[in-house]
Amino acid sequence: MEKEVQVIHIMKELSGRWTIPILLSLDKSGGRFTPLKNTLQISPSRLSSNLKTMTEAGLIQHLSPFERNHPLLPEYELTEKGRFMKEVALVISNAEYRLNQGFLAAKAWNWPVLIALYYQYHEFNAIRQLLQTVTPRILSKRLGELYEKGLLEKTLITNPRPKYTYALSSNTEPIIRSTNSNLSALL
Amino acid sequence: MYKPGFTLWYSVSDVERTLEFYTEKLGFEMDSYDKENGMGSVHTNTKECYIGFSEAEQVVPSTAAAVFEVEDIDAAVKKLTEKGIVFNGEVSTIPEYVKLISFKDPDGHHMELSQTL
Repeated sequence: MEKEVQVIHIMKELSGRWTIPILLSLDKSGGRFTPLKNTLQISPSRLSSNLKTMTEAGLIQHLSPFERNHPLLPEYELTEKGRFMKEVALVISNAEYRLNQGFLAAKAWNWPVLIALYYQYHEFNAIRQLLQTVTPRILSKRLGELYEKGLLEKTLITNPRPKYTYALSSNTEPIIRSTNSNLSALL
Repeated sequence: MYKPGFTLWYSVSDVERTLEFYTEKLGFEMDSYDKENGMGSVHTNTKECYIGFSEAEQVVPSTAAAVFEVEDIDAAVKKLTEKGIVFNGEVSTIPEYVKLISFKDPDGHHMELSQTL
């Protein structure tokens, strides 16, 4: 159980509309606010609040005006944890490109659900227990959305009582398997 | 050791507004402008002396004064006031040495005009 809990924890931390894009664009923007804002096409206030959240999460470090020796030097830098998470973000990006179903990590719980299914958690309550803080409503919504995208299959079981079981679809499974193995290599 | 050349480089909150101030109001010549990266610079009235700007999320106004030499401080103040520069108080005189007056750029970076007596 240890491994999937670890992977899911990381996936949870990287979910969100801007976390992965910021991790992947920060170095290319020289760590400066304006180029980053222009690259991401994000409003200044939204970028500021995301950078603040990521600083608090220990992914990036904010350099104060007094710590910067030149106005062209970075305002934000990846921390050691941030550099690791950037590697994970690259793995996720690559997997999403192969899955071809858009930016899944933008929404909370998409990736944790896929990982749970890969680790053979097939029933709603088992998945819910593994993901811990997910509400039944959101989990049900995400399972429905991932099903709509064709990333998972559901089977109705009638005995002893009717319920669905979930599994990765045959196209999805190999991609999640190689993603999981790439992630495991980073851990 | 040194070669001719001197550059001031400021963090600013809006490089476009800053460049407009330094070119249209102060009358310096635009040297570079990179909108995408939020950078720009102007060439001052002095050869090899530039002022550069880059946008930052957080700007601390510089209290070190960039001092520009003028021939006639009263005439310069009149001309720049017409352009919309707001000076801090009146011209002060250090007898037999210099006349000074200060103002701020849009981010509050400290500037001065100086007329040597």
